[in-house]
Amino acid sequence: MFCLSEMEDTVRVPPDLLNLPLEVAIKKVLQKLLLNKVLSIGLCVSIYDIKSAEGGFVLPGDGPATYKVRFIIVVFRPFVGEVIAARFKESDSNGLRLTLGFFEDIYVPAPLIPRPNRCEPDPYNRNQMRWVWIFEEQEYIIDDSCQINFRVENISYPPVPTEQAEDAKPFAPMVITGTIDDDGLGPVSWWEGCSERNNEDDDT
Amino acid sequence: RTRKEKLRVQYPSLAMSGVGEEEENAAELKIGDEFLKAKCLMNCEVSLILEHKYEQLQLVSEDPMNQVSQVFEKSLQYVKRFSRYKNPDAVRQVREILSRHQLTEFELCVLGNLCPETAEEAVAMVPSLKTKGRAHSDEAIEKMLNDLSLVKRFE
Repeated sequence: MFCLSEMEDTVRVPPDLLNLPLEVAIKKVLQKLLLNKVLSIGLCVSIYDIKSAEGGFVLPGDGPATYKVRFIIVVFRPFVGEVIAARFKESDSNGLRLTLGFFEDIYVPAPLIPRPNRCEPDPYNRNQMRWVWIFEEQEYIIDDSCQINFRVENISYPPVPTEQAEDAKPFAPMVITGTIDDDGLGPVSWWEGCSERNNEDDDT
Repeated sequence: RTRKEKLRVQYPSLAMSGVGEEEENAAELKIGDEFLKAKCLMNCEVSLILEHKYEQLQLVSEDPMNQVSQVFEKSLQYVKRFSRYKNPDAVRQVREILSRHQLTEFELCVLGNLCPETAEEAVAMVPSLKTKGRAHSDEAIEKMLNDLSLVKRFE
């Protein structure tokens, strides 16, 4: 879920921003530093407020002005055991990948997909495997047709690689492992007919 | 412990960013200090915060999307899509109602985000409601969900 987190840090405002109102300049620097970065408290999605800024001293031999800043950020912070609404992104023989749009490193491995099930080549997408849950002789394809609720089983923070092969997947600083094998989890259409739970204007 | 006082989220002062709009014009939810300590937000609250920030940016710049990063835009998209309650009064009421039911911040936000319709669903999403020593009877949970459904109806 999303949380507010208060932080204190030293912020260096470069000379080219110093003509702006101080709060605006500091926000710009913080945005560049923190937006879309995974911090210990979560993925930073917005600078919420600057509470205070002290200093403004220019250190000898250094162009930027240095401020001690107290500020609040909005972070996305998953909790183990939390049920989160997501959408289907893709699947392969290892399992499913889900997405929140702003965060896409959510994986539901095969053992956490309800059984009995089967994995087969996706007739609509040559590169993909799709998963089908079988329940009371009905088949339920897992695809992007509706919201999928999953529960967070594990969160990992892989260390930044020192080198990466050219064709390697982009580095994911935070990876969520989820399950859809429980009451109320999986595509919402499994639990209540085909309507979305929340407001759904259009499919993006 | 119940919290009756209204929780309001304070938007960063528009005056400081050079726009000079009056506070009364800004959609206003204010966060009390107590709430700031607790810190978890429901999607509908985040939606109001991020939308307001986006509007602020539109006022100061001709091309706000240049300034707003992808993660902000996509987060806004996500919380708008997965929020049942849209207007600030409704959002405030939702937190007020949930706050009356001896829930942890985490439980409050999961319920506010997923909007279960029955006690059974609520417990499936938040199993801790039924752990030993906690007094959440099915009736109490149903009452809470009923109160929530009323908010939606009069939005």
